Amino acid sequence: MKRLPSVLLLIFFFTFTMMLPQAGAERKTDGKPDGGALNYGEYGRPATLDPITSNDMISMRVIELIFNGLVGIDEKQEIVPELAERSEISEDGRTYTFYLRQDVTWHPKEGEDPVPFMADDVIFTYNIMMHPQTITSLKVRYEFIESVTKIDDYTVEFKLKRPILNALAKFSFKIIPKHGPENPEFLSREDPFVQKPIGTGPYMLKNITADREVILVANDSYFKGRPHIDKFAARPFADQNIMSQALLFNAIDMIVLVNHRDIPQVQGDKRFVLQPYNALSYSFFGYNIRNPLLADKRVRKAFTFAVNRQEMLDSFFQGQGTIISGPFAPGSWAYNLDVQPLQYDPQKAIELLNEAGFVKGDDGIMVKDGQKLSLTLKVPIEKESEAVKRVVLAFRNYLNKIGVDIEGEFKEWLSWKEDVFLKHDFDIIFASWVFDDSADISSLFHSAEIGPWKNNFGAYSNPEVDSLIVESKLTLDHEKRRTINRKLHAIIADESPYTFLWTLTNYAAFNKKLRRVAIHPYKFFSFADDWFIPTSEQR
Amino acid sequence: MKRYSQYSVEVSDFSDVPFWKKASFMDLVYVSYGIFIVILVIGSYIVGAFDLLPYDPHEINLELLMAPPQSSGHFLGTDFMGRDILSRLIIGIQAYFLPGLLAIAIAIILGTCFGVLAGYWGSGFDTIITYINNLLNSFPRLVLILLMVAAFKPDIYYIMVIVGITNVPVVASLIKGKIQFLKQKYFIEAATALGLKNRVIIFKHILWHNCRSILIIQATLGMAEAILMETSLSYLGFGVQEPTPSWGNMVQAGANYLMQGKFWPSTAPALAILFTIMGFHLLGDGLNNMLERRRNK
Repeated sequence: MKRLPSVLLLIFFFTFTMMLPQAGAERKTDGKPDGGALNYGEYGRPATLDPITSNDMISMRVIELIFNGLVGIDEKQEIVPELAERSEISEDGRTYTFYLRQDVTWHPKEGEDPVPFMADDVIFTYNIMMHPQTITSLKVRYEFIESVTKIDDYTVEFKLKRPILNALAKFSFKIIPKHGPENPEFLSREDPFVQKPIGTGPYMLKNITADREVILVANDSYFKGRPHIDKFAARPFADQNIMSQALLFNAIDMIVLVNHRDIPQVQGDKRFVLQPYNALSYSFFGYNIRNPLLADKRVRKAFTFAVNRQEMLDSFFQGQGTIISGPFAPGSWAYNLDVQPLQYDPQKAIELLNEAGFVKGDDGIMVKDGQKLSLTLKVPIEKESEAVKRVVLAFRNYLNKIGVDIEGEFKEWLSWKEDVFLKHDFDIIFASWVFDDSADISSLFHSAEIGPWKNNFGAYSNPEVDSLIVESKLTLDHEKRRTINRKLHAIIADESPYTFLWTLTNYAAFNKKLRRVAIHPYKFFSFADDWFIPTSEQR
Repeated sequence: MKRYSQYSVEVSDFSDVPFWKKASFMDLVYVSYGIFIVILVIGSYIVGAFDLLPYDPHEINLELLMAPPQSSGHFLGTDFMGRDILSRLIIGIQAYFLPGLLAIAIAIILGTCFGVLAGYWGSGFDTIITYINNLLNSFPRLVLILLMVAAFKPDIYYIMVIVGITNVPVVASLIKGKIQFLKQKYFIEAATALGLKNRVIIFKHILWHNCRSILIIQATLGMAEAILMETSLSYLGFGVQEPTPSWGNMVQAGANYLMQGKFWPSTAPALAILFTIMGFHLLGDGLNNMLERRRNK
């Protein structure tokens, strides 16, 4: 009961700042001290720092600090205004009008006056994103937009091709300035803008040091009020073991994703906070259904029965995760909790293989019509190769026990991608999908998505699934969509185009001197402007 | 790569005193340690080959991850997949044993051929062979191997072929030097005058009677180098691939847990590498001192 007042107070502050956005552009009014610096450890160097060409999580985290979207998404997955003060949706659900804030300026270039943020920037961003020569994964997501028009300097209107459910959330894409990129037509990775981004966000890029540390400084004229912490620095670590040690020895203040095997070490230390966050991602073994051996659903199901997922999760990840049964990110509304993950049952697995016509050969390997059940497993060599290696070795071991011969092959990331998505030269892969908020699996399992560089790499095709996916996309009724997705979940779980493994609980670890840390599930730094360090602990 | 230069050697050394009696004490220690290691390696190889191991080196035991040494019957503990480290160390010898022999064979056979060509028949061949030597020497070996791995696949036999080939110049130049020196000697002149065939002179009088110690020394050093190459490449992930154990990939896998105070999975193979390579090097060194330099005295 003693906690209640402080919680209330916090909520009060929160609403207070939300209600008075115009009072921003100076100090925050929450009475928390400014100052201090936050160094956080990253898994590598960001390739690009603009929101359009970037596609890795490292860049995404920095971009979240530099840029804003028209709308934002808060901790509860609810839409909150950002660059757009308010929005209007027409009766037919096809016209979205955004009224932009008039107090927003772009990060100033050295020695120049800050440029105000206006409707032209929004239109510019949309055009660049959709330009055929811009290489971006965002294009597919925004195909539903028919046109954008500027009503006046602070009003833009989006016309949709068809009304879609929850379209407002999709306008969270980050806006880039018209005066930013050198090439006004499209954005390539060679453009200087991708290394020297200009945004509207709480932090501005100061420089990238020789050892690729990204230094960000507070934007004094941030429209939500100047962020409390003066400086953010993303420090790349090639070796993860060192990252946890660096935290323990106070060389860095935060790790965005703690290696699971280091969790007990950080947990035992009172100087640090270990904060879980859900990442809407899962790992899986994906099968190539083009291979006749794997075309039989009983074989794929047998593999799932043969693998003791709980044991792997407990042994390799300290049990920090949840076993999943189907294709949606757990924690998303589309996930069907009624479908239970298959229990470990090697006997059942062997029965299923026998049923599918396989019998044990002389060397212990299953054979059907003279063909051995011998498959190659391709795995990308990732930064986090230790846990991956463990899972892969254990998987081989489980399958060997039921008489399946697995040849493991570790490949460099790019050549792995080429083998899997272009040449389709694999039998099984180990990988993970990371989802955004949309719970959209059409690109993974729809048969139209079979082809070079498309996401349905295993060539899974089922007319029923196809029609359910289309139906789910077209419906405007949230409840109906939920029902369809639950059905989809059940079918795909049964058909087992993947052996769905688990979703891991991600942990961020940070020094206790950081206060009021809230972490966005996959964008991470969305609320970083409210974090602060008490004056006494700023060094 | 260490090169052993030839000192002025008295060739016709018909003294009856066996060489080990003339050797210094330290050389004897070196050589006996080296021989002990060689026996240990060969013995372990046989143990591994006949499957007489304490545990199955591939058996994964998720209940017993990273068990410390001496626990639950595992003499050296278990690794990150709960596999017995001792068994994996023994099996790990297979990763370099035969490939290492291949590398040595290539280096010795090709090196001898080139050395004889350059040393015995002189200038024309000599120029060509020196040119090839320079070419090979100017190319960093690791880069060559990584190119090979990128072009084909990370197979230890390919890698060892490269190691062998890059060692050819070393052996060739030693043999060449030795032959050029021997050619001035009277016994070769005598043999030629007696009408012996070149083949006989080369194989019997030069290689067998006067070069075998060089070749033995080069073979031991070559083995040390093959082990080092194999372990470093496996450590980098280009050599032997999991789940096949190699000392290199064992060190690599264990290194991830070093910071947590779990030292044994990486320390055990690292020490094995240290003692083995030291053994081969000391053996080569000692033999060199005993067989080649003794005549300086």
